[in-house]
Amino acid sequence: MRWTAWIVGALVLVVLFVWEWNGGAHRADVRVASADVFTLDPQRMTYMQDLRVARALFEGLCWSDPDTDDVVEGVAESWTISSDGRTYTFHLRPDARWSNGDPLTAEDFKEAWRRLLLPDLAADYSELLFPVSGARAFFAWRAEQLEAYAKSERHSAEAAQSLWHETIARFDSTVGIEATDAHTLVVRLEQPVPYWLDVCGFQTLSPVHRPTLERFSRIDPQTAMLRTEPGWTKPGVLVCNGAMRLADWKYKRSMLLEPNPMYRGAHPAQARSVEIVPIEDASTAVLAYESGSIDWVSDLTAEFRAELVNAGRNDVHVLPAFGTDFWSFNCRPTMPDGRFNPFADARVRRAFALAVDKQALVQSVTRLHEPIATTLVPPGSIAGYESPAGLPFDLAAARAELAAAGWKDRNADGLVENAEGEAFPPVEMLFMTGNPRVRGIASALAAMWRDGLGVQCEVRSKDGKFAKEDLRAGNFMIARGGWYGDYLDPTTFLDLSRTGNGNNDRGFSDARFDALLADAERATDAAQRMRLLSDAERLIMEEQMPILPLCRYVTLYMYDPDRLRGIVRTPRLDQRLQRLHMSGGSGEGATP
Amino acid sequence: MSAMSGMSVLITRRLLQLPLVLGLILTITFALLWIIPGNPMENEGRRPSAEVAEAMRRQYQLDQPGAFLAQYAARASGIAWIAGAHPVPFDLGPSMRHPDWSVNEIIAAGLPVSATIGLGAIAIALIVGSIAGVIGGLRPGSWSDGATQALALVGISVPSFVTGSLLLVLLAAKLRLVPVGGWGTPAHALLPMLTLSLPFAAYIARLLRFGLADQMQTHYVRTAMAKGLSRREAAVRHALKNAFLPVLSYLGPATAIAMTGSFVVEKVFAVPGLGRHFVDGVLGKDITLVMGVVLVYAALLVLLNLLVDILYAWIDPRIEIAARPQ
Repeated sequence: MRWTAWIVGALVLVVLFVWEWNGGAHRADVRVASADVFTLDPQRMTYMQDLRVARALFEGLCWSDPDTDDVVEGVAESWTISSDGRTYTFHLRPDARWSNGDPLTAEDFKEAWRRLLLPDLAADYSELLFPVSGARAFFAWRAEQLEAYAKSERHSAEAAQSLWHETIARFDSTVGIEATDAHTLVVRLEQPVPYWLDVCGFQTLSPVHRPTLERFSRIDPQTAMLRTEPGWTKPGVLVCNGAMRLADWKYKRSMLLEPNPMYRGAHPAQARSVEIVPIEDASTAVLAYESGSIDWVSDLTAEFRAELVNAGRNDVHVLPAFGTDFWSFNCRPTMPDGRFNPFADARVRRAFALAVDKQALVQSVTRLHEPIATTLVPPGSIAGYESPAGLPFDLAAARAELAAAGWKDRNADGLVENAEGEAFPPVEMLFMTGNPRVRGIASALAAMWRDGLGVQCEVRSKDGKFAKEDLRAGNFMIARGGWYGDYLDPTTFLDLSRTGNGNNDRGFSDARFDALLADAERATDAAQRMRLLSDAERLIMEEQMPILPLCRYVTLYMYDPDRLRGIVRTPRLDQRLQRLHMSGGSGEGATP
Repeated sequence: MSAMSGMSVLITRRLLQLPLVLGLILTITFALLWIIPGNPMENEGRRPSAEVAEAMRRQYQLDQPGAFLAQYAARASGIAWIAGAHPVPFDLGPSMRHPDWSVNEIIAAGLPVSATIGLGAIAIALIVGSIAGVIGGLRPGSWSDGATQALALVGISVPSFVTGSLLLVLLAAKLRLVPVGGWGTPAHALLPMLTLSLPFAAYIARLLRFGLADQMQTHYVRTAMAKGLSRREAAVRHALKNAFLPVLSYLGPATAIAMTGSFVVEKVFAVPGLGRHFVDGVLGKDITLVMGVVLVYAALLVLLNLLVDILYAWIDPRIEIAARPQ
């Protein structure tokens, strides 16, 4: 009896073992350590690692060549743009196929774009389609209808379904997206958008395989919303049109991509398989790379960077990214609790910006020697755009600005006071806990402002969710920020400072700035438009200073350049997993 | 009351209590999750416009906490299924942060991993801990006792991210005996099991050592030795069984803790276990995932405690099972 218990226990263990060890014997040609992929539903994507996989699994109408940033053909083999710049006609390849062999049609794009525009989907990138005529109004209408439905008493499958049919009809009649035949997609914009083709190449505008999606979609009678069940992106189910297909995906364990045989233009040296392994712990990822089980560490966290970079290895790559590391000034007239906010005054903001020695920050605090930034848009990253100069490091000018705002050291205690003799309020600096890089920068900034300007700083770190609440509520004086551009146009950065923008944490509002952006939207001449945008950036980077840019973001990769080929090194770091391969041809030399 | 009927009363009572316990835990968990600021729909950095953010909240009924909880409970418990309102029983819903996965799938993927590591760790801990405990308990005060107790103290005190990282660097990166992190072969499980087993082994060693030393002083053991048994024979045949009782009652919760996954161990070794999914869920405010995992944890804990009580009665029939305080 007792022995049987032990035997049963041992058997349970053995069964668990066998259950868990299925496969794992084959090593993929290329193994990539990455952050965890959240979703493979292209319309719902937000994260860089998800978008990277989407580049391999899906192909849009066109895309930007990662090496040159030129727009090249994708599913569309050609397109025409009307003379007013508002109508785009895309001609799809007649032989375009889904991975299961089904023909790919303009309707597949239309359906995908409609999904992106449904509030039901809660897609982060819905706004990308708002330039399409009628799109924003359609989104708002559907949201209103859903809200009205939720409040009404008539909850039934029939009512939800009839609202859905009404929604489709409304989309067809009011939104400027039309499939005129199986291979022609016509898009009408509210006004000319010079970077529209770049938007069309963005992964969230990828097409969807309608029959698969249909099987997993239903209209929820409770909320009248379109619900997509979790299953449609699973291996064996997901039908895609990119250079690779999904061979396997285990939650937070691994994802395996293989060449899609239906894809027309496979890269000649494409790897036979690429495996993505989520490894969250940076030291584990580095050890896995060094033991040879990982070929490319793609998302290294901050704490490891400086040590690795300064070790002078040839397999550690620091690449400038399309993003800017900055701190935000709170521009609201008062603090949320009614206290005085000294940073409502642009002179004070300029003084604080002038007093920062950015070179010292990147040399001795971050120790990554990032290119320092005086503007928000990374200079030289967008063709035809000339960045303003921004503000330099100039302590004398900084003190003069502060004095002009009424803050001087009147009693020789080393701290500044106003005319009434009140000391400058302690500067509340907000950032999220858990990032040593940010903590180091915060302390260094506090020291620079204390020594250079004579103000006291309170460094206040909070847990992510709490810090976000404070940011939104304007409960800070200076807060850590940062931004990566989404598309190749200055507005991807400048929109941050528009009045009422969802990401305008600073509460900044300036009528002249808004007017310049509006003028740029209306401008028909591309050069004129860029000049207006440049003027707008000058206004916020030299005069109004809602944002204090520190440096360009850099991304750190670990890979052996003699073995792994195909990694993109241009600023957007728009990687193509389908181009990765080990040197010496597919698969060769891949075993550690 | 006979032992058998006592036991069936206990089992029935515990099983009847289970839904109540789970319902209470679910409500408390939900309330706590609700208090945490933030929105599970929200990502790092980029933030959607107000209208999109509102759509996100409405999509998951985050604007109606009461309705949300009621619907979740109905689906998770299977009541909605019985009533014909939902196609599947025990549906814990889609994960809010990972919309491609249902919580049921995530638990089904993570629990076997954590359970394998946990059970393996408990097995290692039981063997290593018992040997160390018996060595010490047989000769209290000897140098071997001192050595095993010192080791046990180290095992309890050193946090697992330290032992884990050390083992990883030594055995995986330097000696290349096992792979660095990941999951898929028995070699992948070895280090996580070892790391996780250390504190349990140490605790078992201490429990057994003191239990055995006490038992060796009792009249029945001395009688056995007086009748000619050697110290070792007396220990193995008579004292060990009783000395083992505290270890057994520790094993119930310990197994539950080990099986449900250690976040630290799973993170260090990049193991896709439930502990990691759970902590990531809390950090991302993935309400459905956290509630689902808590439900499974709670059910597991209740059932394992019940199992220990049954084993208790089986090892020591004198224990009146129904009367035991819980």
